[in-house]
Amino acid sequence: MLKRLDNITNIIFGGIFLLLSLLIVLETLLRKFFNLSLQGIDELSGYALALGACLAFSSALIGRSHMRIDLLYSKYPTWLRSLFNLLSIISLSLFACFLFYVSWQIIQETQEYGSTAPTAWSTPLIWPQGAWFAALALFSLISLLLVGKAILLLFTKDLQQFNQQFGPKGVLEEVAQEMDDFNSRSQNDIKASSLLGEKA
Amino acid sequence: MSILAASIGFAVMLLLMVIGLPIAVVMAGAGLIGGLVAFGPYFVSTGGAVVWSVLNNPVLTAIPLFVLLGELLLRSGIADRMYLAMSAWMGRLPGGLLHSNIGTSALFAATSGSSVATAATVGTVALPSLQARNYCMRKSLGTLAAGGTLGILIPPSVNLLVYGSLTNNSIGKLFLAGLVPGLLLTLCFIIYIALSNRNEVNNQEASVSLAEKIRLSKHLVPPLVVFGIVMGGIYSGLATATESAALGVMAALAFAYAHKAISKQFFLDCFRQTAQISGMILLIITAAFILNLTISLTGIVDQLTQSVVSLGLSPFSLLLILVGFYLLLGMFMDVLSMQVLTIPITYPVVTSLGIDPIWYGIFIVLMCEVALITPPVGMNLFVVHSVRKDGGDIRDVMWGALPYVCIMMLFVMLIMLLPELVIWLPQHL
Amino acid sequence: DDAIDLRVMGQPMATGLIQKNLEQPFFENLAETSGLPLKVNYKAADTTGIKDTEQLRVLKSGMFDLISLRLSQVSRDEPTILGLDLVGLNPTYAAGAHTISQYQAVVDKRLQERFNTKLLGLWPFGPQVLFCNHPISNLEDVAGLKVRVYDQNLAKFVESIGGVPIPISFGDVHQSLALGVIDCAITGTSSANTAGWPEVSTHMLPIGFQLGMNGYGINLNTWNKLSDQQQATLQASFDQLVKDIWGYSEDLYKESLRCNVGEKPCDNLTSYDLVKVPVREQDLKTVSETVMKVSYPTWAEICDQSNPSCSAEWTAAMKD
Ligand code: NA
Ligand code: NA
Repeated sequence: MLKRLDNITNIIFGGIFLLLSLLIVLETLLRKFFNLSLQGIDELSGYALALGACLAFSSALIGRSHMRIDLLYSKYPTWLRSLFNLLSIISLSLFACFLFYVSWQIIQETQEYGSTAPTAWSTPLIWPQGAWFAALALFSLISLLLVGKAILLLFTKDLQQFNQQFGPKGVLEEVAQEMDDFNSRSQNDIKASSLLGEKA
Repeated sequence: MSILAASIGFAVMLLLMVIGLPIAVVMAGAGLIGGLVAFGPYFVSTGGAVVWSVLNNPVLTAIPLFVLLGELLLRSGIADRMYLAMSAWMGRLPGGLLHSNIGTSALFAATSGSSVATAATVGTVALPSLQARNYCMRKSLGTLAAGGTLGILIPPSVNLLVYGSLTNNSIGKLFLAGLVPGLLLTLCFIIYIALSNRNEVNNQEASVSLAEKIRLSKHLVPPLVVFGIVMGGIYSGLATATESAALGVMAALAFAYAHKAISKQFFLDCFRQTAQISGMILLIITAAFILNLTISLTGIVDQLTQSVVSLGLSPFSLLLILVGFYLLLGMFMDVLSMQVLTIPITYPVVTSLGIDPIWYGIFIVLMCEVALITPPVGMNLFVVHSVRKDGGDIRDVMWGALPYVCIMMLFVMLIMLLPELVIWLPQHL
Repeated sequence: DDAIDLRVMGQPMATGLIQKNLEQPFFENLAETSGLPLKVNYKAADTTGIKDTEQLRVLKSGMFDLISLRLSQVSRDEPTILGLDLVGLNPTYAAGAHTISQYQAVVDKRLQERFNTKLLGLWPFGPQVLFCNHPISNLEDVAGLKVRVYDQNLAKFVESIGGVPIPISFGDVHQSLALGVIDCAITGTSSANTAGWPEVSTHMLPIGFQLGMNGYGINLNTWNKLSDQQQATLQASFDQLVKDIWGYSEDLYKESLRCNVGEKPCDNLTSYDLVKVPVREQDLKTVSETVMKVSYPTWAEICDQSNPSCSAEWTAAMKD
């Protein structure tokens, strides 16, 4: 289920920024050649980030990408690693819940004041902030699910499996991923390295 | 709050980071706890206002856009082929393919935001052919690690974006300021390789016919065009950094389409990777702003600035101290965390002594480049080492990178003596 | 040790001379000059990381006791405020002072009710005038030109005279003018001088579309900690500060008008040689008519949504 949620989140995230890029190209052309302006590209970029960033928080959480220094971690015994992995997911979840809480406060105030952006578009602020709030709600929900999963794993599986799923994503793992990706994309493409080899 | 209390807080924070807790959580936690202690519960809702302010900042929208741009070029295979073209052109120089490592890194750096992706990709493409030709392992690894650091200096650079957003400086100016030093540093690396390999006749590639060179050069077109669009947009003033990033994304997408790389899986991979990297960066930046709120409101930095100013240091000697400070810190810290933790503290001090804010941004990013290849914690050292397949010792890459650390330190001295190298271009628009 | 803490958020340092020469020194010396038992902690807005649009909320929360409110930005949460400086309403300092005398009470009441905030005084950055990198001889020539604007009211006005409004952040204007991304831009005369706009423009049309209003707001909880006597003393200090700023702002306006077109004396700013476009009666009339034709209806529609009596109270207050 997490995997599907992750995929959907990533597609929305990517879609937001591709669409934004398209609109920016459009605005630049309109401005240059037709003396027209959408008048709100900057504003829209801000909203795209608010929503996109919070979706990305979830992706990074599921992908174990939120940065941790693993210099000492890599030398810990298994049980100590588990302890830090547990502390990490719990503290990330607390942070997510804090963000959820303050965004809740903010949209309540926005609702109360009927705030509208002081811009050419005069956007009712509740729309972008509502979307932002929803993305943070998703982030904290996912973080709580992961805390639940972590505790479950601790009770049912061995520590090594737990550490595999909750440890920081080290350089080794990232590079291994990059190399896999490289190999798969060069299979149906010119093989850069072998081409060079033949030439020698 | 006294400077002593703040220093203890800072030390505890560093400790919690080093033992392996998430960087973002430690920073936000320190900011919140400090803020609650100093100001009571109002601090929380002010923290909320700051969180919305950061995440609604169109300047930072450039971060996911530049990461996406790099991913599109990388996963469509465009980046891989650059190496071919580079080696055709540069292989005849003394040192042969080592130049291609630097050249490809520099060119790829110019379109991608991430130095890890640069080092990993170039390393994966280059190492097998370097090994097949019996290049000295240390030298090969060293060029790969050092070349990868160019990514954060040659624009577009996520690290310059982070600096600009933390200090309210124009991203466009910072990018322009990074251009000349980035190219000069690349040139320094190339000169060093040529000089240090002048007697190694083996390491020179067979000459490639001009027709072949021109045929291969088509692989340089996409990255050059994308770079041209991004920097041209900024330089001409047609677009802000964020808008230029968007123009670059569309151009990269068009090239990916032309290379028939577009598929559902391609988009999924690009999006996932972009989301994970930007989510990590933006959460740290959000946390940094919460911490900054506390630091700023407690007035700790004002006190520090006053006491430094009262020492009567010259700007040059302050910078020498900072070189030492960042060299030391960079040995142990990841560069993004180093930036967000130290810039809010050092920036007011440095600018109060009259040092140019744009210049200081380039200085910081150069020190971050150094940090990427100094042991024990040097991201690019780890990346290049793990790309290697022959199971050698990590000390090979450390030794191999050492000359480049020295070149970079000399280069830092150079821009301290000749600041115009950095600030001329952004000032002459 | 009975001192009352006064955490103050000032204007951003980037806004220039008024912040640097009047506001910051005033707050740093306030305890001494007023004799009140205050412990003032002054922070310029751009050193806090809090966006100016958030100021009213932050003030209400109690994190800051007193804020130098940027009215155009905080109107996000309280559009009633914008009635102080609708486009065309305040072409001169005198007109601005008149508007304040009639409408300040309405704004103050609303801020007290909704944001637990009392207004201590209002002041202008100065007339926001038109700079163009394109020859113009009157307001009508703006038709077809791309004009940088900073809010909806101004955007509608530019549209009404046939221009193409483009929102661009202040920092990007210089380059955009230089490269023809925009043809004209509107801002205060001295900020334009400081930011070097005359380097990249040729003409200046000195009609004040708006006056760039700002104001000091204090959290009522803090205000009520003071005795009646102390409140009177504090109010008197702010009356003096605001009076000083009005005078300084007008001097600066006159000087920057001279400096921008190369007239003397010009001692505190950079001298440039812009063409000073003569202001026609008809242009002044267009601008003053825009209030009821464009600015008021645009604003009333949004304001009445969050404050149903907004436009009615404005009309009543501004009657004479
Ligand atoms: Na780069
Ligand atoms: Na290091």
